[in-house]
Amino acid sequence: MTNGEGRESGRELRRIVRINEEIKRVVKTAFRINLMAMNAIFLAKRAGQSALGFGVLSNELRRFAAELEQQMLALGQATSGSVATVTAMVKEARLVGMLERAQALCEGAGRDALDAALRRHRESALAERREQVATVNRTLSLMIEGTTRLVEMGGVLARSAKIEAAYGGAFSQSLKQVSSDFEATIGEIRQSLDSLGKFRLRELAA
Amino acid sequence: MKTVQTIFEDGRHKWLAVVRDPRRPDYLIDTNEYLVVSDDDAILLDPGGSEIFPAVFSAISTQFDPRRISKLFASHQDPDIISSLSMWIEFNPEIRCYVSWLWSSFVPHFGGNRETFVDIPDKGMDIAVGSQRLQAIPAHYLHSSGNFHLYDPKAKILFSGDVGAALLPAGENGVFVENFDRHIRHAEAFHRRWMGSERAKRDWCARVSQLDIEMLCPQHGAIYRGPDVRRFIDWFSQLDVGVIA
Repeated sequence: MTNGEGRESGRELRRIVRINEEIKRVVKTAFRINLMAMNAIFLAKRAGQSALGFGVLSNELRRFAAELEQQMLALGQATSGSVATVTAMVKEARLVGMLERAQALCEGAGRDALDAALRRHRESALAERREQVATVNRTLSLMIEGTTRLVEMGGVLARSAKIEAAYGGAFSQSLKQVSSDFEATIGEIRQSLDSLGKFRLRELAA
Repeated sequence: MKTVQTIFEDGRHKWLAVVRDPRRPDYLIDTNEYLVVSDDDAILLDPGGSEIFPAVFSAISTQFDPRRISKLFASHQDPDIISSLSMWIEFNPEIRCYVSWLWSSFVPHFGGNRETFVDIPDKGMDIAVGSQRLQAIPAHYLHSSGNFHLYDPKAKILFSGDVGAALLPAGENGVFVENFDRHIRHAEAFHRRWMGSERAKRDWCARVSQLDIEMLCPQHGAIYRGPDVRRFIDWFSQLDVGVIA
């Protein structure tokens, strides 16, 4: 493996680690929304008739948090799967690097065999690797798009809760505070998803 | 690139020593590989680590078509012995690797599948190479708990793995031991530390004393020949092993 390929494959693995950390962050935030929504439901009950709409939205936000957590777990599993793809790429790059080093030294009977092995790896293995990387990238993109749509819905719910809070009578101030917290937290999730959206495996050139 | 030196030749029966690599990085231990050729067949003894595969492959290529190597012999499981396995399989998917049964599920981490490995039982076995029959001689606990050496009764050569190894200082590049007393100083600390069992050492000395050996070929350092073989066995039998010097 050349130094460049080694650095590139190391970068891919570090990138996957960063993605997993981002996913963990979103799962943690989803859990926080769940707790916030539960408190909001109690608050709405205390506020009574004037906060009925707020109560309904809080329930929806709890469902949103549970669904978001599920989607992030699925995304986590998909990225774990991509570790196998990157590992195969690293192994392949290392093997090709060894063959190239041997080819540079070899002038004897094994030279033809080295040329053939390198051709084989550059053609079939490279094509296979391209396909694997494309599949991983496609899967992750689809999942992130699905989650982004869900988070947009969460944002709408948080904004509606803010409007409903204005009708909360004596509890209006507290409800406003809770709905602002929802909005800010969903904003955090949106930022994490933006980072995840930039995720693409790079194909390691042999 | 490493150097290839023919150390035995009798018609189509040959021993080639693949030694010394001037371009080897100094953080890698130097290793010797041996190719035993008989007719159109060949076995490579302790093929080496993956990092030195290019040097070993290209050195062998100067004298022998590496695709005709049908067998590998791994004295034990260490990375400097057999981590190049997957590269050899690349050139001959049918290649067979002879290794102690103890390591047959560990070494596949370096490559190969169920068919690649031939388990050597504790008592040893014969390995046919072309028209020759080589003998896997038990050397357990020297230093690995499943360890074999390979004896060629026709060539009277014993491949002795880590036994007889010497960590030679820069500049001492001779293929053969020329001055036993000076050479053995570079072997002493290695044997005291790596060879962990006094009893295994005594058993080995008794076992190989029964063999007619003209050359004792270690995986590191220089080859003992003629009277130096006996000198080495006597020296080893007297050495305190399994101690931190």
